[in-house]
Amino acid sequence: MHLAISLNIAAADKQAVLDFGEIKTFVRAAEAAGIDMVVISDSAEGLSSAPFEATTLLAALATVTDKIGLVAAASTVAHQPYNLARRFASLDIISHGRAGWHATMAQGSREAANFSRPEGFSDTDFRRRTAEYIDIVQGLCRGWDADALLFDKTGGRFHDPEKMHLLDHKGEFFSVRGPLNVARSPQDTPVLVLSGLSGPDLDIATRTADVILLEDGSTESAKIRFDDLKRRATAAGRDPDAVKILTNISFAPDDGPAATADRLETELRLKSCDGFNIQLTAHSALDDFADRVLPELRRRGLVREGYRGATLRSHLGLAGGGGQ
Amino acid sequence: MTAQMKLGAFLWATGHHIAAWRHPKAHATAGIDIDHYVQLARTAERAKFDMIFCEDAAGLREANVGIASQTSRSIGFEPISLLSALAVQTSRIGLVSTASTSYNEPYGLARTFLSLDHLSGGRAGWNLVTSASPIEAANFGSTGLKPHADRYERAREFAEVVSGLWHGKAPGHDGQSFSVRDPLDLPRSPQGAPVMVQAGASDVGRDLAACTADVVFTAAQTFEEAKAFYDDLKGRMAAYGREPDDIKIMPGVSPVVAETEAEAREKHEELQELIPDDVGVALLSSYLSISDLWRYPIDGPLPELPESEGMKSRQALVVEQSRRDGLSIRQLARHFAGARGHWRIVGTAAQVADELQARFEGGAADGYNVMPSYFPGELNAFTALVVPELQRRGLFRREYEGRTLRDHLGLKRPV
Repeated sequence: MHLAISLNIAAADKQAVLDFGEIKTFVRAAEAAGIDMVVISDSAEGLSSAPFEATTLLAALATVTDKIGLVAAASTVAHQPYNLARRFASLDIISHGRAGWHATMAQGSREAANFSRPEGFSDTDFRRRTAEYIDIVQGLCRGWDADALLFDKTGGRFHDPEKMHLLDHKGEFFSVRGPLNVARSPQDTPVLVLSGLSGPDLDIATRTADVILLEDGSTESAKIRFDDLKRRATAAGRDPDAVKILTNISFAPDDGPAATADRLETELRLKSCDGFNIQLTAHSALDDFADRVLPELRRRGLVREGYRGATLRSHLGLAGGGGQ
Repeated sequence: MTAQMKLGAFLWATGHHIAAWRHPKAHATAGIDIDHYVQLARTAERAKFDMIFCEDAAGLREANVGIASQTSRSIGFEPISLLSALAVQTSRIGLVSTASTSYNEPYGLARTFLSLDHLSGGRAGWNLVTSASPIEAANFGSTGLKPHADRYERAREFAEVVSGLWHGKAPGHDGQSFSVRDPLDLPRSPQGAPVMVQAGASDVGRDLAACTADVVFTAAQTFEEAKAFYDDLKGRMAAYGREPDDIKIMPGVSPVVAETEAEAREKHEELQELIPDDVGVALLSSYLSISDLWRYPIDGPLPELPESEGMKSRQALVVEQSRRDGLSIRQLARHFAGARGHWRIVGTAAQVADELQARFEGGAADGYNVMPSYFPGELNAFTALVVPELQRRGLFRREYEGRTLRDHLGLKRPV
């Protein structure tokens, strides 16, 4: 199974805000435990008191970790697509192929109010706009062929102009010429994690996302949802295994390790998800999960030992990167 | 103690010389190598520089793909992510990045730079620019370039909102270009507010700087130009209730330094020889905001130019220099390709230090933004040769005294 750990940097109830040293310790502990990725939250609705914005935090964390995937939330209202693509392509290079972008299909009122869009978007406009936005970001990230850079000093050829491609996107909400002024990143495109899906978003998600985060529900409904999403991915011309479905589950230190392992095993064996995004009730619960639940899952052969590859895509069993 | 100059290390990919990447000792893969930047930042920090400085553009630098492919400037790190990585790999040096008011929103920019400020313990700065490039405009759905005055109107409003957010105000801002409802959801800056840097040298740009900037980055070839700019800008500050010392004026300087003058000249020539003619002319064209310079004989003089909507002040600088020195297009192209219109000094450590000291003590600069011709070689040469010479003369610090960028620059902490 694939395992993500949610890292909420905003101060939740009765929790102190983490400083960078504490966040580093937390992410390194998750790395030592062999977790696929941490999913870093950004601004919550309502004021948080976290001192960091997620993409800047990701860049810093990339320099103090080696293996673990690092996913940052970034709003499609707060950034222009060209700028967001530059940020994440750059983060992917800085992290040597471990970066992911967490986008939400749900519109936040706070972004609209602070980013000169006081009226917000209608739900259907926001949906179409987000779909267009994601296509632009992914297209821009593929603008440079993997072998475009030549570094030929004596010949005076830095790159091969034939291997740099304009996007020339002209859509309903954006027009973006490209190309990106950041090199192709180690994963080709940073891993796209989508959440906040409602019914009409499912086709967009299964067409574009690498990872879909879903709320926890009954095993039965989760199974139906999982099959439906994989079917949609196939219909979009993708390998159903190219979209990983992770279920958000909450974990508290006093949840019994065997019971938690049982629950995860059941959902996985019933094929109702590809893994889980663990939402800790307190940051300290990571130790309990790593020391008590993970060994049990490993004993049952449900979680791999250590990291096999170097990129987040390789951790997740996704294609892409490595000069393909 | 005598007054000490401020120094910035302007890091740009393979180097500031257009042919830098072709130099045998240049690190050609700089634009995809984070470790290279960590080394450069640490080198500058060991030399006690006030800050490292990064440029930015939201698009390619050069529209002609053939020209662009002969330079290393089409790819590089997005600077906010770069500096955020460097923030936790350094401990004292300031971290300043350029970001445009044309294609960002003030709330997001204020929030991002404040996050960088927290990551670095109060070492962040923002260099405000407006975007004059049609290449950038095409990446943001705009078909034409906005007139100079409109861009600055937006920039002024942008700067006001960012400054208000950094100072913890609840903006409730509903202006011409932006609306912002909430205060920032991050705690106050460890240095009161990130440092505000500006580079515009036009009349409207100078007024904006006089009103809002902590540091001004500028281009000046001669002492007289530098002095005139310095006096003009400091003279404008009183109207905004500010003291002259509230802004540090740091012109760009591109030094080429070696143990002997002959060696330095040889080093400089080696790079100049690596500039292809078409690349030099294209670069000159872009600074002049005209597209057809290649039509004119390369060994002839610069033609008469219409006033551009793009970079007004830069154009004037180039034209003035070409007339003054009677330079051909090729000569001018090579000259500008090397230092991008900034001041170049080629010589020994003592000669470079003499020149820097003369402008500093002559009231034409509070410090310099050092633009090494290629990396890492020329930054290493400056830190190994020139910095100790400046320190010996008492013109530059031997140790950091404070923790924040405001401390280094001797700027007041905002209340």
